[in-house]
Amino acid sequence: MLHQQKLRFSTTGRGTYNITKQIAEAIEKSGIKFGVCHIFVQHTSASLILCENADKTVREDLDDYMARLVKDGDSKYKHNDEGPDDMAAHIRTVLTQSSLSIPLHKGKCDLGVWQGIFLWEHRTAAHKRNVALTVMGE
Amino acid sequence: MIFQDTIKLAPQEKGATDITDLISGIIKGSKITMGTCQLFVHNSQSTLLINDTADENTKQQTVDFLAQLAPSSDSVSNTINKSMDAIPEAMRDAVQQTTVSFPIKRGRPLLGTWQGIYLWERTSQPQKRSLTITIIGE
Repeated sequence: MLHQQKLRFSTTGRGTYNITKQIAEAIEKSGIKFGVCHIFVQHTSASLILCENADKTVREDLDDYMARLVKDGDSKYKHNDEGPDDMAAHIRTVLTQSSLSIPLHKGKCDLGVWQGIFLWEHRTAAHKRNVALTVMGE
Repeated sequence: MIFQDTIKLAPQEKGATDITDLISGIIKGSKITMGTCQLFVHNSQSTLLINDTADENTKQQTVDFLAQLAPSSDSVSNTINKSMDAIPEAMRDAVQQTTVSFPIKRGRPLLGTWQGIYLWERTSQPQKRSLTITIIGE
């Protein structure tokens, strides 16, 4: 069995957004119990990560770390039409993931207790983000 | 349905080469219209990335940033450091991907408007590269 659908998320700017619940709901509707869930973000300035879901300071620290690693407004950047966070957002995306594959067990994402699925907005402004979900199994 | 093939690529110049059209053609030929596609590169000197197609500068800046993060052995001239060639490559492997996967819809890659699939050739002595493409769906 195969199920495919698009999910749309509104972000309020740079940071991580827990989308585990929306993914779980879409999987439940698909009726597929065992297999693989493939999640793909259709943008080059937002990405996906699996991350610890209990303490939000983990994700704040991750965002701070990324800001130190990939500087906004670096004078070396040539691609800055949309502001100082433009090129940095593309690099941050490449350093993280555009897709995640998660096993499906008994109709649920077989995540660890402390694992959550997060959409990481890398632009500082609010955006609408498309995520394509493909569920394969039986 | 499963379709699998090996793609042979002629040596590419150092940097990122857009392989989206090539991959789209293979997907079309597979007759699979919905599912997922996985690409896997068979060596450690080139990797795969999904990146912005809008501005030529973006891919170059991304490649430059990654090269800076784990400097290439190309610039290492003394013999002692040359023996450490494998280290920067291993570091790049840790932050880079030998596989990418994305959904397929209506027989085409379900990518965002500005997303493209790139092979990143990391050495200045490019070689023939081979990729495995695996398409799962119906």
